[in-house]
Amino acid sequence: MALFRSKRIRRTRDGRFELRLPAEERQLLATLAPQLKALIEEEGGEPSLRRLFPTAYANDAEADAEYQRLMRDDLVASRLATLDIVVETATQTSVSEDELVAWMSAINALRLVLGTRLDVSETLDIEQEVADDHPMASAYAVYGWLSFVLEEIVAALSS
Amino acid sequence: MPPGCHEETIGSSIVRASTPAPGTTIVDEPTTDSVVDPDIPWIVLVWNDPINLMSYVTFVFQKLFGYSREKATQLMLDVHHKGRAVVSSGSREKAELDVFRLHEHGLWATMQQDR
Repeated sequence: MALFRSKRIRRTRDGRFELRLPAEERQLLATLAPQLKALIEEEGGEPSLRRLFPTAYANDAEADAEYQRLMRDDLVASRLATLDIVVETATQTSVSEDELVAWMSAINALRLVLGTRLDVSETLDIEQEVADDHPMASAYAVYGWLSFVLEEIVAALSS
Repeated sequence: MPPGCHEETIGSSIVRASTPAPGTTIVDEPTTDSVVDPDIPWIVLVWNDPINLMSYVTFVFQKLFGYSREKATQLMLDVHHKGRAVVSSGSREKAELDVFRLHEHGLWATMQQDR
């Protein structure tokens, strides 16, 4: 798909990163990020969120309860902060490295939640044909796009 | 240094074990499990999942632990093919910090004593 061929993120000589996203994609992110923020803040025990806040002690429920008691708020704050940065910088033409790392984290979080909802498996081919009238067609498209942008971010940070 | 054990990383932004990040309280002593032996090191495992991209996981390992691209790639492949891999080891306090940072990056990490 030609849409996926041009580099979306590019390291520039001044140590920043150029964001070459079309307006619709920026808008999409500016819409998705606050949605995830709201979901996290709801604390409603939404199943797809569990992937963002996993257990730390697999073999010790008591130790894990203690760990979560101490660390959960920090993890929530960290996740919300990265989503805030995406919203704040969504319309910018460039971002700092720290901001791009926040983008990476936020976009991965969106993938995790969406991927959990779509129940993706390792054999899912991102570009597979999903019928236009499939009820989750747009969700698969968004998931594929998030994956693509994340790959671009990792490549840019590694460059 | 035993394989998989990593004290400090150069160029990463990890907080040294003696100075917890602001707002966190690191558990100093085992408080709950009466059979915890303080002399046995703790290991941090990362588990395979169908969502995280291989390039992303590799990058996170490099970023958080200062591993070379080769080592990070090998660890990622171990996670992918074997279902899980040990990514770091050390004190309980260090393991909790590593687990936290891995969770921040969306990886599924757990800790346990290396028996």
